[in-house]
Amino acid sequence: MIAKELAQKVLAEALRTGADLAEIYVEDVVSLQLGLEDSKIEQAVRGADRGAGVRVFFGNLVTYAYTDTLDETSLMNAARAAAAAGSGSSQTRVIDLTERKSPLKYPVEIAFETMSIQEKANLLGKMDETARAYHPAIVQVNASYLELRRHMWLFNSAGVQVEDDRSYTEMRGGVIARRNGTLQSVREGFGGRMGLELLSRNDALGKMHEIAETAVKMLDARPCPAGEMPVVMCNGWGGVLFHEACGHQMEADFITKGSSAYTGKVGQQIANPIITAIDDGTIAGRRGSLAFDDDGTPAQRTVLIEKGILKEYMWDLVEARRVGRESSTGNGRRESYRHMPMPRMTNTFIDRGEHDPQEIIESVKRGVYIQSMAGGQADIAKGDYVFNATVAYLIEDGKLTTPLRGATIFGNGPKTLMQIDMVGNDLALDPGMGTCGKGQAARVSVGQPTLRIPAATVGGTDEPVSGM
Amino acid sequence: MTTDYLALAQAVAQRAAADGIEAEAYITHDTETQIKVSQGAVEQLSQSATRGIGVRIIDHGRTGYAYTSDFSDDSIEQTWRTARELAQIATPDEYRALPDPRPIPDEDLEIWDPKLESVPPEAKIDAIKRVERATLDYDARIILSEFCNYQDAISHVYLANSRGFAGQYGRTIALAFNMAIARGEDGGMVNAFGFGASNFFDELNPETIGRESASKAISILGGQPVPTQTAPVILDHFVSAQILGALAEALSAESWQKKRSFLLDRLGQQVGNDMVTLMDNGRMKRGVASAPFDAEGVPTSATRLIDEGVLQNLVYDSYSARKAGVQSTGNAQRFGHRSLPMLGPSNFYMQPGHQTRDEIIAGVEKGFYVISVMQTGGIDSVTGDCSMSANGLWIENGKIVGPVGGVTIATTLDGFLNNITAVGSDLRMVPAFGAIGVPTLRVDNVTIGGT
Ligand SMILES: [Zn+2]
Repeated sequence: MIAKELAQKVLAEALRTGADLAEIYVEDVVSLQLGLEDSKIEQAVRGADRGAGVRVFFGNLVTYAYTDTLDETSLMNAARAAAAAGSGSSQTRVIDLTERKSPLKYPVEIAFETMSIQEKANLLGKMDETARAYHPAIVQVNASYLELRRHMWLFNSAGVQVEDDRSYTEMRGGVIARRNGTLQSVREGFGGRMGLELLSRNDALGKMHEIAETAVKMLDARPCPAGEMPVVMCNGWGGVLFHEACGHQMEADFITKGSSAYTGKVGQQIANPIITAIDDGTIAGRRGSLAFDDDGTPAQRTVLIEKGILKEYMWDLVEARRVGRESSTGNGRRESYRHMPMPRMTNTFIDRGEHDPQEIIESVKRGVYIQSMAGGQADIAKGDYVFNATVAYLIEDGKLTTPLRGATIFGNGPKTLMQIDMVGNDLALDPGMGTCGKGQAARVSVGQPTLRIPAATVGGTDEPVSGM
Repeated sequence: MTTDYLALAQAVAQRAAADGIEAEAYITHDTETQIKVSQGAVEQLSQSATRGIGVRIIDHGRTGYAYTSDFSDDSIEQTWRTARELAQIATPDEYRALPDPRPIPDEDLEIWDPKLESVPPEAKIDAIKRVERATLDYDARIILSEFCNYQDAISHVYLANSRGFAGQYGRTIALAFNMAIARGEDGGMVNAFGFGASNFFDELNPETIGRESASKAISILGGQPVPTQTAPVILDHFVSAQILGALAEALSAESWQKKRSFLLDRLGQQVGNDMVTLMDNGRMKRGVASAPFDAEGVPTSATRLIDEGVLQNLVYDSYSARKAGVQSTGNAQRFGHRSLPMLGPSNFYMQPGHQTRDEIIAGVEKGFYVISVMQTGGIDSVTGDCSMSANGLWIENGKIVGPVGGVTIATTLDGFLNNITAVGSDLRMVPAFGAIGVPTLRVDNVTIGGT
């Protein structure tokens, strides 16, 4: 995208006021988004975004300037603006850039162009028909398709020269069912770091049928009971639990400042020994996978918790430099060239356990089973987390019975990790729709096997049930 | 830059005539500053300008949209052609058309701070350092100020369409926020946010922001769950703003036309207690979501949505208005040049009442003053479900008796509107999608989930 010689010149300019490290991040993003609602293709949007950011490090001070024009003048201006905070000087050095290749390959097997935009739109139309045909209670259907190619190049004065060409495909569907003034809304989908092979590996119409079925079933849902009770979390999406309850607290920016409960706890037991948790940015086709992160560090697999013992945090370049670590864990991510990276999760999951998932449900006399959720949130300092279930069931005598609406699951992350007492043997990652928000949006995956929290706080509007 | 962006937008839009279609060009040019401080030192400093153009084509009821940040002739030509091609994909819809130009009232909305451009970075750094200082100085139990950020934006919008509309405006916004972290004697930590935003740099009050995060964190320190029960709650501004966000969604004409609002088909009916009056006002003076015209060139306006509990009106953009046979309320919104106009609130707020916060607290025999909540998808404008986790203070006989934490609160949006029994006089605007304004509220019959 920009020539090596130009990169060297810009880096030298950025270093001129005495910085100890300078970096250029270049990005070229092309996207296509199609959206259907009311049985009509209403959104057909193509975007082209290109830009670069120059980041300059003066010890723990980081300055940044970006431009949406990639000519020499604009890049040199950005370098000068970012360097302006410095007051020292350095002799212009010749920066040796050596291109590094990643052993990780994320090939696009079926290119976006192999299917016309009209064919993609037609698929959304069929998804709409499938859902509406399922039941007359379905009053609204939406479906959307996204393809996005984000190609990044990074050069820094430590000699790093890397690129990562990231392609993503996503399909989403949602339905609203209505009966006697009661409305239910269910949304799902699938996606990944891949091309159109996503569509051959997943059944979009089958998925719509399933969503419609769930929405109609949820019309009979009754309000969720409130109070403390056992909660069983499904595999796959259930991994939102770990992401919110503990994942954020293991991001290095909260560790170096001391705002996380896990600060200084490496080597200590922080979870039930049946728990092993991993952040793995190297899994083929997954939404959070990277060849290099947005600091130019190779992506890696990091064991966060091994048999209950805290092993490692998730580091980006800034936080690694702050504590004098030799390298980060490849968790530096940014939303776009207009943003600076920060420590973020990639694909984060609780590893496989030993229990049969059926046995876990059967172990609960009265509790709640969470099958799907709208997302969650974490409170860093206190370690509290919350997520809202969109599809949940009451468990009675070891069986799933009544569907429940408006269920909120609330708990304390560090406590929950110690409490989880059954972990299933059915590890799965989510379908690939997760976006984490931490001031900036990042594509992530979550995952886990079916697991049991023996006592969690459940929020709902129904009267408390005694004896739980 | 000396480019005449309005002339460029007009030139692009006017190409439509030759092609027998309709077109609109939307150009943004923004200069943004971001400063983050930690422990008395600047940690991050970013300052840059970006621009972009979005082209919307409507070809006989079919919409195509394309955008780019590259202003070369080739790129704009390519963007035009892409938008035209995409319009072929969309489903024809007789109500899809650009709005006819309407006169834009000549009135100063006070959304432009002419000084902001010349405020030196040192003054901005000083302001955000004062936020951190105010937090740390508040109480010895405050151990950290996190996410301590100053951000501002000087934005220019240029909009032209093939029906002859051409307009431009500038808007400035400066905001600062931080999170205070407090640690109690038992080592337990809590956090809380402080926040301030204004169109005018000089109106930011760093000390108020810093003290807000600190005082909230200290107040909830050591909170314990209460038994599960149904009780009245008092909601802080930031808490009720989240609920109002869902109400704004439920009061958009698009949500009705697409049958995804829990308030569907209840126009003219009593949907809340008579203390509830909800307004949307895109022309509010010094409103962070105010603008002379909306994202498709329609003049913004003030709309009374719920009047003393009775559902009176919805917000409209030109599409939903044409479909309903009414006039647009000027509520088309846009997230910069990358998005199609979409219907949403501007400055959306609940009319304040007469009681002070302390008077409202004094009127509660036994209840929960909710200071902070967490929820994602827990407040649903379709189903009307409303549940979240909460921290706050317990009230007995009109007095605060101690902190509460680790509980959930749940009601429904219908329950919320009907059980509001006190509305404070302390209206405060919170920037969200648009800006949401709410006074302190008392809501009865809320389920508290605890031990
Ligand atoms: Zn997250």
